[in-house]
Amino acid sequence: MDFSQVELTAEQQAFEKEIRDLLSTSWTPNYAHIALDHDRSPDSVRLAMAKRGWVHPELSEGEGGAGLGEIEQEIITALFEEFYIANNANNSLLIPTLEQHGSAWLKENILPGIRTGELTTCLGYSEPDNGSDIAAAKTRAVQDGDVWVINGQKMWTTWGNESDYVFLLARTGPIEEKHRTLTMFLVPMDAPGVEATPVWILGGGRTNVTFYSDVTISDNYRIGPVNEGWSVMSTPLATEHGAGVVTEGVVPINGSMGAGFSRTFEKLIDGAIDWAASRKGADGRSRLEDPLVRLALAEAMLDLEVCWNAEGELGKPMAAEALAANADRLADMAAPEGILDFGVDGSIAAGIIASERQHAPGSAIYGGTTEIYRNNLARRLGLPRPY
Amino acid sequence: MTTTLRRNDYALSDEQDQLVAMLRSLFSEQSPISVVRDAEPLGFDEKLWATVRENGLLTISLPDSVGGDGGGLIELVLMGFEIGRAAAPVPLLDHVVAMRALGRLVDSGVELGSFNWESGLAGETIVSIAPISTWELGAELVPSGAVARAVIGFKDDAIVLMTRDSRAPQAPNDGGSPLAWWDPSDPAVQVTTLLAGEQAAQLWDLTHREWRIATASSLVGILASSGEIARAYAVERQAFGVRIAQFQAISHDLVDMHMDELTSRNMTLKAAWLTENEPEFRPELASMAMAQATRAVLRSTAKAVHVHGGMGITLEADVSLFYRKASSWSLVGGGVRRDLQDIGRAIDRRAGERARWHENNAIVKG
Ligand SMILES: Cc1cc2nc3c(=O)[nH]c(=O)nc-3n(C[C@H](O)[C@H](O)[C@H](O)COP(=O)(O)OP(=O)(O)OC[C@H]3O[C@@H](n4cnc5c(N)ncnc54)[C@H](O)[C@@H]3O)c2cc1C
Repeated sequence: MDFSQVELTAEQQAFEKEIRDLLSTSWTPNYAHIALDHDRSPDSVRLAMAKRGWVHPELSEGEGGAGLGEIEQEIITALFEEFYIANNANNSLLIPTLEQHGSAWLKENILPGIRTGELTTCLGYSEPDNGSDIAAAKTRAVQDGDVWVINGQKMWTTWGNESDYVFLLARTGPIEEKHRTLTMFLVPMDAPGVEATPVWILGGGRTNVTFYSDVTISDNYRIGPVNEGWSVMSTPLATEHGAGVVTEGVVPINGSMGAGFSRTFEKLIDGAIDWAASRKGADGRSRLEDPLVRLALAEAMLDLEVCWNAEGELGKPMAAEALAANADRLADMAAPEGILDFGVDGSIAAGIIASERQHAPGSAIYGGTTEIYRNNLARRLGLPRPY
Repeated sequence: MTTTLRRNDYALSDEQDQLVAMLRSLFSEQSPISVVRDAEPLGFDEKLWATVRENGLLTISLPDSVGGDGGGLIELVLMGFEIGRAAAPVPLLDHVVAMRALGRLVDSGVELGSFNWESGLAGETIVSIAPISTWELGAELVPSGAVARAVIGFKDDAIVLMTRDSRAPQAPNDGGSPLAWWDPSDPAVQVTTLLAGEQAAQLWDLTHREWRIATASSLVGILASSGEIARAYAVERQAFGVRIAQFQAISHDLVDMHMDELTSRNMTLKAAWLTENEPEFRPELASMAMAQATRAVLRSTAKAVHVHGGMGITLEADVSLFYRKASSWSLVGGGVRRDLQDIGRAIDRRAGERARWHENNAIVKG
């Protein structure tokens, strides 16, 4: 057991300062940017980071990273949080899979840009008729000589309008064979026949429907063997779900999405504290001293600590639900200002609570719903499959 | 301002694992559920207490300087996990927390009056602690108060030791816990002031935090047992021709109970480690561990009962025993709202950090 503070070496301190300087000169913190798991870093920040190998700093310099360790990675994460910047490139989910299963051509021509972060990716799993039942995908890829022709429709392709590639799940055999006739592809989003149209969601964010009409790509874009898609996608899916998180070192134990949501939750509490500190009650005292405000804030802080202590795959459902419940709690604590929109005069930390109240329900859905998580967790507890 | 990082390592050492294995087999052999039932309504078993004493469990978490074996709060938490798991009817946690506090006083040269240290060390005299004295004057309900002869408390900004020559009568309660009223104005109770002033307040705060952490650990044990019992039942019991664990309404509750157990466990370990090694850092973690374990044990034991259908509410079912223990082991410290009040210190600290951050950084507001 060890919860001690890490003594940063002189190099690590210099590294911290370098990033802090970069962020503080290229970005102004903005209360509105709190969806730290869902949002993407702005291009200006991402490209500046990419130049230095800091988008995937764990990779070696030769691979497009900076050969940095866990501590440097956590410094980056902490600073991005401090500066209200999402540090989210789906690429890290895909890199190991592309390394393992990508064609020689793809590894030479595309993987390097994905590693540095100059190229971006999105995930094309869900469809209009199936989300949780991901292996029921209907989007079809048919081989024609040495090309593939793709037809179909994906739903919720988040960042599909601004990514270079989509990691696409396609059907390559009889649909009745479900898991055994799926194949993965990395499809260029600028290929003829690919189209992304917006879907506007609670909280003002955008995701997309993506359409694929006779999209023709070379076999070089296939990821892994034909009809082995289910096993190829299992690694990135498990990583996204937060499996395999180590319970030592400085990395939080609550998995990738769990930690992302917890950081958003932290920002929500900070915003609520900023608000309370700026308001006075009728007795002339700061609302930070108001017992009702303190009770709500203490409950929120307690829930946040619980999230940080929810390990691995427990992390996401715990944090998603805590985020939604506490956005409600804090909106109620600060009622009626708690419901004011972003930027409106008198709103809480520029509307942080109202906007998170709108965003939070999605966190219990994307990347696998909390029910699907509970199904998986139940199996790990040795319980039988649902009836 | 610079970034600070902390390690997040919850793993037990080999020695700690061995301690857990020893405790698990000791309590499962010496404190099966029949012993727990026979110890009711008082909630105390003399023979088990003798076993605890003979096995040296009372001195593991006391420092060498006062005759202990040099272990600390983490070892105490590991004992708490196993005591809770067995619902063992012994006041070990209250006793050791109180002895740790008295040991600190001894170490700083405070006289303990008529209190016989050796007798406490051996567990002949059972000592307990009065958490409620932090907020309330006069008579109060004391955990393990019906078996203790000495109780450490905090009155009028001073640490006091209350003693009596006979046992206080038990206040009958939900879970058959040896709870009792201790009234400082009762002629049977002698009150000795041990330490006053700022140092007393600090030592009491630390003691109170240790008590919250130790108590939380026993609740984690109750969560572990009641969860296991409910899972075992759910994979056996059939309804509509399937095992009830195949209904998501059941299995998802079982998952939630498991989440309650693991988060409470992790929070207790983390609070114990930090309180032991860096008592100044995030002092609210003790109350957080206690509040989480309390709300978790109350709702999760209720779910464990519900999973059993009608059987769950029979007195005969083991699960109903854990349900009863859940409230009387958790609420004796004053309840979750008191913990939340204490978590308030984190609000003030964070507000200060935010104010400093705003001094150095601009932020877009719309
Ligand atoms: C903001 C946002 C961003 C997203 N981004 C992406 C993305 O980038 N790429 C991508 O591929 N997808 C993305 N998704 C899709 C997401 O993964 C799916 O929405 C999710 O998996 C649920 O699928 P569904 O919407 O089809 O709901 P359904 O599967 O139709 O589920 C409806 C309800 O039924 C419940 N349910 C379904 N099956 C079960 C079961 N077996 N047991 C119990 N309950 C069940 C669900 O929990 C849910 O409450 C995103 C979604 C959102 C909201």
